Amino acid sequence: MLIAGAAIFFYAPTDYLQGPVQRIFYLHVSSAIAAFGCFAVVLVGGVIYLRNESPAADRFARSGALVGVVFTTVTLVMGMLWAKTVWGAFWVWDARLTSTLVLWIIYAGYLLVRRLADPGRQAARFAAVVGIFGFIDVPVVHFSVTWWTTQHPGPVIINDALPPQMLATFLFTMACTVVLAAVMIAIRYRIETLVDEREQVFEPAKVLVAREPEPVQ
Amino acid sequence: MNPFRVALAVARKDLRSEWRTREVVPALAQFIILALLIGNFGFQVDSRNAASIAPGILWLALVFAGLVAFGRTFAAEREQASLEAMLMTPASPVAIFAGKAVAASLLLIACEAVMLPALSLFFGTPFSADVVAAVLIATVGMAALGCLFAAMVARVRARELLLPLLTLPLWIPFIIAGGQAVQSAMGLPGSYSEAISLLIDFDILFLVLTSLAARFVLDE
Amino acid sequence: MTYLILAYAFGVAALGGYLFWSLRRLRELERIQGGRS
Repeated sequence: MLIAGAAIFFYAPTDYLQGPVQRIFYLHVSSAIAAFGCFAVVLVGGVIYLRNESPAADRFARSGALVGVVFTTVTLVMGMLWAKTVWGAFWVWDARLTSTLVLWIIYAGYLLVRRLADPGRQAARFAAVVGIFGFIDVPVVHFSVTWWTTQHPGPVIINDALPPQMLATFLFTMACTVVLAAVMIAIRYRIETLVDEREQVFEPAKVLVAREPEPVQ
Repeated sequence: MNPFRVALAVARKDLRSEWRTREVVPALAQFIILALLIGNFGFQVDSRNAASIAPGILWLALVFAGLVAFGRTFAAEREQASLEAMLMTPASPVAIFAGKAVAASLLLIACEAVMLPALSLFFGTPFSADVVAAVLIATVGMAALGCLFAAMVARVRARELLLPLLTLPLWIPFIIAGGQAVQSAMGLPGSYSEAISLLIDFDILFLVLTSLAARFVLDE
Repeated sequence: MTYLILAYAFGVAALGGYLFWSLRRLRELERIQGGRS
């Protein structure tokens, strides 16, 4: 069933109007939306974890962050390749590109915090805080094209400025991408559950163990 | 226990300890002067471009000084395990956090008192109340965020690496708005009032979020 | 244009690759731990 989801997704978009490079937008935008969804999962997981200390919530958050970073990377790279063709440069410091890069850095930081903190409660709490603060950037990225003047194309989907065939193709691609993201999160969640079990990360006994003295700095 | 009293007591303790040892402020002030110097060489500053480069150098120096100043906020506590002792009292963690953040900001402000005149001296830019106001307003929000993440990384390995990584992305709004504010205060194009109101908005937003989050970061 | 192909190649490779890598890792873990929970 998991494989079926991926197979449907590979169905190619049907048509285009401007230069062929414009087609990038189907996957590029879908990835961005999938990434936002993933980070929303991180946000919700983080909030729930801070309230009930549920390891499952933390696992969801973890999975969401990893998958989200993957999708953000795809968004950024596809965007850069499009930019080179259309603007002649791989990168510009406009509001949307910058805020998306910041988004990537924030969640890469999330993953680093997890790795460097004491596994278990500490890592989960800190990461939850980072994930919650980090989500502030998501609406910024989304609205960056309306709030500031940017080189990045403005919102065409919401403003209904797309011809129907493109819209249909896009919606279909977006649906498939979101499903793919959900599938990836589910798989990752399962992986994290197994890893947690093996390393017995959330055992309550760990919290009471005396801390070893830290090495002299 | 009255949270304000607690915060004040914690702040006073930190400030008193800094006064006795006098380590942070002089070292940071020296660092800032050096940063201005390096900026001068790195950007090949001359009398023509000084005014347009100065705001950027101000924020670069401030950001790095801020990382050092806030990074230290929880370092001493860790060594003496006094943070745990404080948390065992009925004092609210948010009050303790607020006290430390206030103390750290005052230390940074002391450094700003060195930086701004120096900037004016070296780069020939106006030293106005507008510039000072912008920097002070930004410091508040930056302090809250900086101290929050400093508390978080105090117990983590590779804390010097992680603190900038976590703090800088969230400081970017302050640098953008603050940069615009200082730029317009120094006579370059840009709306000062718009930038200041943005800074105040960010301050409020992050102060609220930080006080909500402080509990989870200190409570161990 | 080549960049278009490149972009989609990257996207598909990254996403597909990640998907397959995750599935492989999951299968490995389940084999070792026998999917207890």
